[in-house]
Amino acid sequence: MTRYILSRIGQALLVLWAAFTLSFLLLQAMPGDAVLIKFLNPDYGLSPEQIQAIREAYAVDGTLLTQYLKTLANFLKGDFGYSIQAGVPVSAQLAVNLPPTLMLAALGFAAAVGLAVLIAALSSLAPFAWLRNLVQSIPSLFVSVPVFWLGIMLIQIFSFRLKLVSVINPGPWESLVLPVATLSVPIAAPLAQILIRSIDEIRTRPFIAVAVAKGATQRRILWRHVAGNAILPALTIAGVLFGELIAGAVVTETVFGLNGIGVLTEKAVGNQDLSVLQAVVVISAAAFVTINLLVDLLYPILDPRLRTPSGATA
Amino acid sequence: MTLRKHLLAPVFALAAAVSLSAIAAAADTPVQGGTLVYLEQQAHTNLYPPAGGFYPNGGILNQITDKLTYQNPQTLEIEPWLAQSWEVNADATQYTFKLRPGVTFSDGSPLDAAAVAKNFDIFGLGDKTLKYPVSEVVNNYDRSEVIDPLTVKFYFKKPSPGFLQGTAVIGSGLVSLKTLALPFDQLGDATKIIGSGPFVVASETLGKELTLKARPDYNWGPAKFEHQGRAYLDGIKYIVTGEDSVRIGALLAGQADFIRQVQAYDEPQVEGQGFKIYAPSTRGVNNSIVFRPDNQLVADVRVRKALSLATNRKEIVSTLFSKNYPVATSVIASTAIGYKDHSADLGFDLDKARQLLDEAGYVAGPDGTRAKDGKKLVLTAYESLPQPQNRATLQLIAQQWAKVGVKLNVLAGDAGSRTVDDLDPQKTSVSPAMVGRADPDVIKSQFYPKNRDALRQKGGGSDKIQSFVDDKLNGILEEIASQPDKQKRLQAVADAQAYLLEQAYAIPIFEEPQAFAGAPYVKGIAFEAVGRPSFYNVWLAK
Repeated sequence: MTRYILSRIGQALLVLWAAFTLSFLLLQAMPGDAVLIKFLNPDYGLSPEQIQAIREAYAVDGTLLTQYLKTLANFLKGDFGYSIQAGVPVSAQLAVNLPPTLMLAALGFAAAVGLAVLIAALSSLAPFAWLRNLVQSIPSLFVSVPVFWLGIMLIQIFSFRLKLVSVINPGPWESLVLPVATLSVPIAAPLAQILIRSIDEIRTRPFIAVAVAKGATQRRILWRHVAGNAILPALTIAGVLFGELIAGAVVTETVFGLNGIGVLTEKAVGNQDLSVLQAVVVISAAAFVTINLLVDLLYPILDPRLRTPSGATA
Repeated sequence: MTLRKHLLAPVFALAAAVSLSAIAAAADTPVQGGTLVYLEQQAHTNLYPPAGGFYPNGGILNQITDKLTYQNPQTLEIEPWLAQSWEVNADATQYTFKLRPGVTFSDGSPLDAAAVAKNFDIFGLGDKTLKYPVSEVVNNYDRSEVIDPLTVKFYFKKPSPGFLQGTAVIGSGLVSLKTLALPFDQLGDATKIIGSGPFVVASETLGKELTLKARPDYNWGPAKFEHQGRAYLDGIKYIVTGEDSVRIGALLAGQADFIRQVQAYDEPQVEGQGFKIYAPSTRGVNNSIVFRPDNQLVADVRVRKALSLATNRKEIVSTLFSKNYPVATSVIASTAIGYKDHSADLGFDLDKARQLLDEAGYVAGPDGTRAKDGKKLVLTAYESLPQPQNRATLQLIAQQWAKVGVKLNVLAGDAGSRTVDDLDPQKTSVSPAMVGRADPDVIKSQFYPKNRDALRQKGGGSDKIQSFVDDKLNGILEEIASQPDKQKRLQAVADAQAYLLEQAYAIPIFEEPQAFAGAPYVKGIAFEAVGRPSFYNVWLAK
């Protein structure tokens, strides 16, 4: 087990390095650079000579390799560089933007799981066939709703019309209610769909027929016999959904005017703020790798069949 | 008894009248207190004062910094502020300012001649080691001299008649020596910007929120203001809210007091509910389309004229904008200094346009697009994000030009491609453009190759230019920037407008305002000459 974990961590570091290198190369290949974009902005009204002087001051010029090595060395030291557009160090931006996004993502994900389980449970426990069918179509509806539209609708209805929550200047918890609701919907949809499908599949298995024959109730069958088996595919998809969570956060944060990694990324992309993008890519990759590692480690705990030593290959 | 009643009646009436007028007066008398919630569309960037041209920066700097002089937004005259008086020599190469005594920065240090001298040394010359760029409004700067603690003198290498107005603009806000000792890199942190203004930065959440609080000992408003003491508001809270519908919804729902950037199509909704639209003019070069004549397709003046004639400004304004966006009648706004009415030269005439294109040798091909020697008249422009509904404007212009057989491709593109391609006339033959500044220098800023170089001339900002250069135009522009005689300078501004339109280098479309909206109880909103809000006189009647 220790060897397995160590090899997985080694792989994770390799993935991080690859993410760093690839993103560095791709970002360098883009036309223009952040200094040019910021200072050619007519609002500054700078002459070409002045812009050249600034470029030299920021040392944007230099060979690709020296820039790569310098950036990599700085990253290893924990120095993420300087955001040319915002005029502050990237670490200062991360300090402000990372915690709210983690909070939003964690709560959004928890709400999505709750919502998905509720939908899945209703879809197999609801009393009438037509109701079960209706519930089963909810995930498709959820997946089709554009996040920005949902966010704006929730704001218009709950904040501007009913005045239940304030969007501008809200309290710490008040500020999370609508964004979490918005973010959870597109995440809940695929989770619920996978859950419903695996529940349906497991229901056709012989051991369920045995349980039914023994006289177990629908509810008991669902929770005791089906749920444990149906959760594995959902767990796999949950790891992958992390990417969705980041994409959802970009839109949610923009619509609600929250600060966070999503908005930071969106602005950095627009302004080619390479240091920021580089940091975001590496942090996202790290989060992705960690979550998938956790998911893999959870499998053997949830499913005894995976606990054999031969199962410990990646 | 009855007598007394009769006698008293007028007394009561009088008393009632007095108390009524007292109430009326109370409704107009500023009340102190309250925090203004201001929704910004974008986060501020670097708050080095010369970077105040960017509206989110200017909206903050205008509250926390003061300037040497105040430009009256109505008359555009330059009035005393931190400078009580000034002298300019005959050829505008030496400026002497006498400062108001007793002014301090919010860190307690005095705003004296030494501080002012240091500010303008940096604005005029930049600082390579601290990475400070030069200010756009300070031209030909040579050096400063501290004559006594309250007198400072500036020397210029060449006549700089625009400098006096340059001391009044947002980019010339004065900051403490402590701020200027920091490298440029660190000025993205608003708490480090120490000015002498009526408000000071209390706290900031990067990219999201900024809180200003009133400075209790402030006592140096512009000399002609009745109000001199501290601001009426206790504070201002800036909240970055990027989404248009959320900004407007929050204002109408009472969650915010004042917002920036209201699109024309949202105006009726705001006004319909008794809220107020503020659309101060930016008083500079109008929202326009400019040509890059280095590209052969638009090198012929007849082609440019034809496209000007094919542009229907009235349709653009009535389709996309509102009464706050007046149709352009010259290169610069009708409220700009030195404006001359050229509406006669800015007609809409499709027949004439077609005729000119025929004369220029462009004939319609099978797909309707004109071509000459096998080269199709297909032009390309990138949309300009800061300008209101620019994409829609360009698309409408593309439809209008299509009627005379010219195709205009409108590209969005990422910031990098846009910035790089914009330097190459072969890739962007036309471009949207505008600049705001209430001084005749603005027209030079826009078109002079060493400044914004809107036409992309050889020797200007781009190394991709093969041959295009217009010495006559540049001569007129240099005259604007360096002619110390006021009348001759205004004549040069008139000449520049006439020449730019005669050559059809630019197609002015409308006079661009900055659009804000405020709640009905927000009183005393003022704007500097180029449309940045000032909250010094603002109070909340609620």
